Amino acid sequence: MKRRRGAAPEPGCLRAWAAESEALAGRWRAARCAGPRGAEAAARQQRGAFGELLLRMRGLPAALPALPLELTVVYNSLLFVMGTSDRVVEGEAEGIRQGLLRVLEACGSSGQDLSTEELWQKVLQEVTDEELRAPLHRLAALQAAWWLATSRLRSVTGLFQLLSSAEDSGRAPCSRGENKLLALLKAWRVPAKGVSTSLVQSAENLKETLCTAAAFLQGLQELEAGNLPAALSLLQKAAGGFCSKRVLAQIYTCLGCCAQQMGKPQTALQHLKRALQVDFQCLPALSHVAAVYQELGETDAELQALGLLYEALEKNPPSAASFSPYFLIRTELLVHTPILTSLLRRRQPSEVKYLLAQRCLQEGRVADAVEHYLDFLAVLQEGLQQQVPLDGGSALPRIPEAFLEAASALEQDGRHRDAITLCEEVISRTTDLIPRALLLVEEGLEQPESPSPGMGLAGGLLSQKRESLHCLTWRAAAYLHQGWAWVKLGENKEAITQFSRCLSELLRFPLCGPGAEPTGNLLAEVEVLQKIRLLSLIGRGTQFLELGKHKEALLDFQYGLQVSPGDPAAASYLVQALWKLNRKQEAAAHWQKHLERPTGEDGQQEGQGRPFPLYLVSCVKQAAFPQRESLARSIQDYLRTMSQDPFS
Amino acid sequence: MAAVPPGDGEHALPYGGEVLVLWLAAAGAGAGAGRAEAAAELRVRRMALGAGRFAHRSSGAFGVRGRRRDAGIVCCGCATHSPTGVVLPCVLLRRKKRSDAVKYLLLSLHGSNRFELSCQFELDYELKEDVRLFGGPSVLWRHADRLFYISPDTRTVLSAPVQLSSVVWAGEIEGEGTVVLGVRTARLRESEAEDELSTSDRAIWGTEFFGYAIEAQKMLASTCFMPHAYSRVVSSVHVCKSEMLKEQLRTSVVAVTHKNQLIWFQDGRPKGVCELPYEKPCSIKTAVTSGNQLLLIVSFASGNICVVRSENLQVASKWQKVKSVLVDDFVGSGTEQLLLLFKDDSNADLLNTFKITDLGRVNYESGINYEDDVPAAEGLQENGLLTIQALEKRLQAGLTSVRELQQHLGLKKRVLTESCRALIDLVEERSHVLPTAKKEGLVSLWDDVENPPHSLSKETSSTSKVPDHFVEKLWQRVVGESLVVGVKLTESFYLSLSDVSLSLVVDQDFSSISPIIECRNKIIKLNKAFSALSVSSCQIEPPPKKMKLDLHSKNDLKKEVHKKCSNIHLEGAKTVTAVTSLSPLLAFHCVCCVVLLHAKKQKHQNDGLQKSKKITLLCGKILLSLEDISNGKYSVKMLRDSSYCTGSMEDILAVLAASMRFSFQIQSSDFTLTSVNSWLLGEMECTPFKECHDHIFCHKAGNVYGTVFNWTLKSPFEGILTLFCRSLTVLFQCLHSLTRVLPPSCDVKLLKSGSKGVLTEQLALALEKEMLTSRTSLSSKESKAENSLTRQNEPGKNISDAPVASLLDSEDKVQQFRMKLQNEREESVLNMNQTMNGTLYQEMTLKIAEAQLSSDMIVWRLSKS
Repeated sequence: MKRRRGAAPEPGCLRAWAAESEALAGRWRAARCAGPRGAEAAARQQRGAFGELLLRMRGLPAALPALPLELTVVYNSLLFVMGTSDRVVEGEAEGIRQGLLRVLEACGSSGQDLSTEELWQKVLQEVTDEELRAPLHRLAALQAAWWLATSRLRSVTGLFQLLSSAEDSGRAPCSRGENKLLALLKAWRVPAKGVSTSLVQSAENLKETLCTAAAFLQGLQELEAGNLPAALSLLQKAAGGFCSKRVLAQIYTCLGCCAQQMGKPQTALQHLKRALQVDFQCLPALSHVAAVYQELGETDAELQALGLLYEALEKNPPSAASFSPYFLIRTELLVHTPILTSLLRRRQPSEVKYLLAQRCLQEGRVADAVEHYLDFLAVLQEGLQQQVPLDGGSALPRIPEAFLEAASALEQDGRHRDAITLCEEVISRTTDLIPRALLLVEEGLEQPESPSPGMGLAGGLLSQKRESLHCLTWRAAAYLHQGWAWVKLGENKEAITQFSRCLSELLRFPLCGPGAEPTGNLLAEVEVLQKIRLLSLIGRGTQFLELGKHKEALLDFQYGLQVSPGDPAAASYLVQALWKLNRKQEAAAHWQKHLERPTGEDGQQEGQGRPFPLYLVSCVKQAAFPQRESLARSIQDYLRTMSQDPFS
Repeated sequence: MAAVPPGDGEHALPYGGEVLVLWLAAAGAGAGAGRAEAAAELRVRRMALGAGRFAHRSSGAFGVRGRRRDAGIVCCGCATHSPTGVVLPCVLLRRKKRSDAVKYLLLSLHGSNRFELSCQFELDYELKEDVRLFGGPSVLWRHADRLFYISPDTRTVLSAPVQLSSVVWAGEIEGEGTVVLGVRTARLRESEAEDELSTSDRAIWGTEFFGYAIEAQKMLASTCFMPHAYSRVVSSVHVCKSEMLKEQLRTSVVAVTHKNQLIWFQDGRPKGVCELPYEKPCSIKTAVTSGNQLLLIVSFASGNICVVRSENLQVASKWQKVKSVLVDDFVGSGTEQLLLLFKDDSNADLLNTFKITDLGRVNYESGINYEDDVPAAEGLQENGLLTIQALEKRLQAGLTSVRELQQHLGLKKRVLTESCRALIDLVEERSHVLPTAKKEGLVSLWDDVENPPHSLSKETSSTSKVPDHFVEKLWQRVVGESLVVGVKLTESFYLSLSDVSLSLVVDQDFSSISPIIECRNKIIKLNKAFSALSVSSCQIEPPPKKMKLDLHSKNDLKKEVHKKCSNIHLEGAKTVTAVTSLSPLLAFHCVCCVVLLHAKKQKHQNDGLQKSKKITLLCGKILLSLEDISNGKYSVKMLRDSSYCTGSMEDILAVLAASMRFSFQIQSSDFTLTSVNSWLLGEMECTPFKECHDHIFCHKAGNVYGTVFNWTLKSPFEGILTLFCRSLTVLFQCLHSLTRVLPPSCDVKLLKSGSKGVLTEQLALALEKEMLTSRTSLSSKESKAENSLTRQNEPGKNISDAPVASLLDSEDKVQQFRMKLQNEREESVLNMNQTMNGTLYQEMTLKIAEAQLSSDMIVWRLSKS
């Protein structure tokens, strides 16, 4: 800089500000070496200091020579604002807007009423000052970050179109099927770094972060929209970009989910593995791995994955998003969409434990299931509030159902008395929750579809009814389990008592005739109830049979068939009871009516309708008729003799 | 209260804890139409605070000649009365004369309510802009962009030799007397005006401050108050402090601007900013309240007031609808308070609705009597203040003692380290053999590696066959100061060699110099992704048996390479290059050199042991003349062709051979390393070679031009950057530039001898070889011993060979097994007592030592990397 000899340099504001900005940036560079915690405090300080400097600069009229510095200070200050914000960035970047207005002010123009997009257009078209190009472009990158964070992709695309057209209109970015925004971002030439201005995060770095974030964000959008191949290619681009370990693991997890949805489980597993290799803290990847294995039917691997997940969750309580002192704007600040949150939902240890138990039970690994269920119940005892996630995505069932499942597992494992105790728990807990009679239910069932004026009230009433129905179901199921457990212990009388209790419990809900098929909202619940009633009747019937009370047994089986017409177990028992009462003709008739045709009907029965709750599966198995073959043989013999000798 | 004065003409002035209310009244106080025509009279009423309201103390009057209608109060204030040196209230009165002229009277009010005429002057215009009273008492004003004032000495109107647009402040400055601070359009020096890039405030914002000392009638340097930049926005200024220190004016200035900011300046530099809550600030006052707190009081054009604390520049309080704000010690507490006079619709007494506050313990509001609780609060406040002061003192004392302790500790530490050092010296003096011995050990290890012991195997082993045609190409290139000679060997031949090197021998007979030219040998492998270059003498060949494993992996690698690159790519591996300094050769003008190839030829013996034989072969001759070099015959041509760098394979090899090679392992703990690639392609303007894409050539103009890079990512977080550069300066330049783009959590490590992973692999191989060597040599010894023994059982059959499980089927077999075991046990006992001949032992130990040496060397390199 030329300066006349002898004239002392006056302490001009511009120079003073430049020096101060430089000093602040220097202090930041020194501070960020002091570890994340110290750096975070320093960043907050810097945010204040840069803000104050900016305030001072804005205290003077906008002047072209001072604007490059001012825009740089805006850039630095906003970096700190974004980097230290605890929450998601929202709304407009007021600082950028003000900066643009100052630019227009210096050029003798104004744009107070314009939207930020229009303001950018005006500024980039009208301001031709070469000195302002670099800081404006940097600020534009920051604006893009802001817009990306609020998912305003179209605004970002528009802005970068403006930037590239301002640069050279001749060279249009190639677009052969490539993503437009990514192409624009890649083609954007980062302005050369000025001599006197220090940036707390380089524009090159910002550009790379933007590229990664834009690819990631669009990939997630495509994933949400179901355009899986597009999502896959975008996410792969994101995975090749600049980001932290944490984000890379997240991208790989999303890639894994995408591949899984595309029906490529092996690719999905590879991606998920990579996610875990990059960052083992990315535990959602592990739960996705379990899901993929379940899809593949590899139960061992699935259970291993779940077990590992549980262990990892136990050891590493979820850590808050860590502050990185090196880059104030990071991909994780720019990408937050609901789908990402749901993909990366961190399961609770209790949830994983339950999943383990449930999967074991479903796969018939009873001993393991018992272990896991007991662990799960212990976790519940420890502290329900912290352990149970209350959001919709939880895998946890209602607690009584978990109890019943545990009881079912215990029973299958031969620990009948434990199962009885557990059921007692359910019974005692639900005692006060069920109204004397569920008459309301029936009314509700009569006209469930009728739209009433007070829909909200009706909805509330309905949910209340459903809740009572649930309680009733659980309670009845608990008695049912107890009954079967006593059966296993050989205590016929005790078993009959429990089955009777179950049935009397169910009497609160009036039996629907076979003609009055329940429809509507509560259909599923009612079906479960009927199933319990059937199983209970069969159970009591078998016990009567054992005690030789054939008539009582016959009655129960008849009721059972009424409840569930055509049920093979009930029908078989009915035939047996009739046979034992020596009412062979009736028996044969029933046999022919219900049982002759289907032979492998058990499988069909399982497949029909909606699946019953997991806790009923063991009871269904127990209620199956055991000596089908011998009964069939004797009936067929009888029929043969009858046909030969009809008058005997 | 007698004679309620008309509200509009009332002026309130704080003086000595009292409020003076000044107004012009018609003489005689007669009511009615005659009032305007009546002679004017200036009246004053002294009001003092008592019992929660202002009470009338005394009053005075001054007869002004002329009609009431023509007279008016221009302004009033306090100024030094120069004859007595006492600060007195002053009033500037205006009286229109019959002609257009206006007469001005400056009166000062003495303690006895007596007005004294300080001076009077006549002007042909009305005073409107920037009228200020100052010591003397005297008055200054601005008219038609000029500054006028009444000289305190001569009592005549003078004008300052400046064009100005406004006066922002006038007051006393130590050593300079009364000083006026004004704003004028910037008058740039010629050089400044020419210089478009001028960053001076005046050049940017176009206006500047000026200071003018009235008594001395001279201009002052004004930058010690505020930067010129603020001359565009400042509306009012208050100089809080000014003192001469070492002939420099030190100032504290506070200013309010049109941008609604209050700015605190210290010695001309902005130190703090406060955003003001209202628009259009017009004036600023200060008050020193209890605890020596400085309050800055800003009045706005809209009649709003806000108070800012000076220590943190935060708005402490604000009020609306304020008629005026006065600062003085109204309650008599020893410090100043604010007296806020609110706008009153009833248009009654000026002092009707007021509030006195210092934003601390004093809080009076009109109509409410606080007298009772004031003393108690005062006492408490004072106690608190004293406690805090005492605590502060204690804190300071504590701090000092801590500092002293720290100094003491530092001193102790220094003494300790010094004594330790002395002790070490003492010990070392007595046994200074130890370090040298250590050193020797290191050197000997290295020397052994440099000169590997030649094999003891028979020199007269079967003559190795050298194919007739083994050189595919012989070429030479000139790169900078060096000559690069390359020999490309046929692939099959190359694979049978190890420890390949070239030497250059001058063909002509120059008696004066040694015919052998000193040169460096390099084999550059371009096909392998990492360890791009390996100098043959340092490369440890893995044993052939292990080669299988290694070859397998190499094949995989090659396949990958094939996919990525062209066939030529592999050629680099078969080329041996020699680099030598060019200038000594050029001294001969034209020189012919013979190129000799030295190598160890491997051959595989039956027992799998590797034997090698040194061979020397003539590859050809090269002719080097200055003319050819001048014509650029041997120069390297690298062209930038769109996105690739084109150059022949020889050119690339020559550049790589002539450069220094550095490999850096770059590891990032938290962020992916994509920035390296964008740095290479962006900032360094690199393009990949067409022939081998993983090496890229730097086209950036300047020192770094011609540097070749190879960037290999092993994972998103780890990679190896290899640089081939001309000099260390270039290396440092590149690294400096690189460090700016790397994520700062990066770990950059110079790989001195291969990457850790490769070395670890090599170590594993070497250890395996070591183990195999000892096993094979022992077994060979055993087989020789076996021959000399008479043995009962058939040779070569071992129990362990047969499947044990099948032997244990029946009792008989178990018995058999037991017998065999017994036999073997006896045999091994016999073996233990065997002797062996000397040469066999010698050979064996040598082999084992060789193997151990190589693994030791790798361990050493591993430990250094």
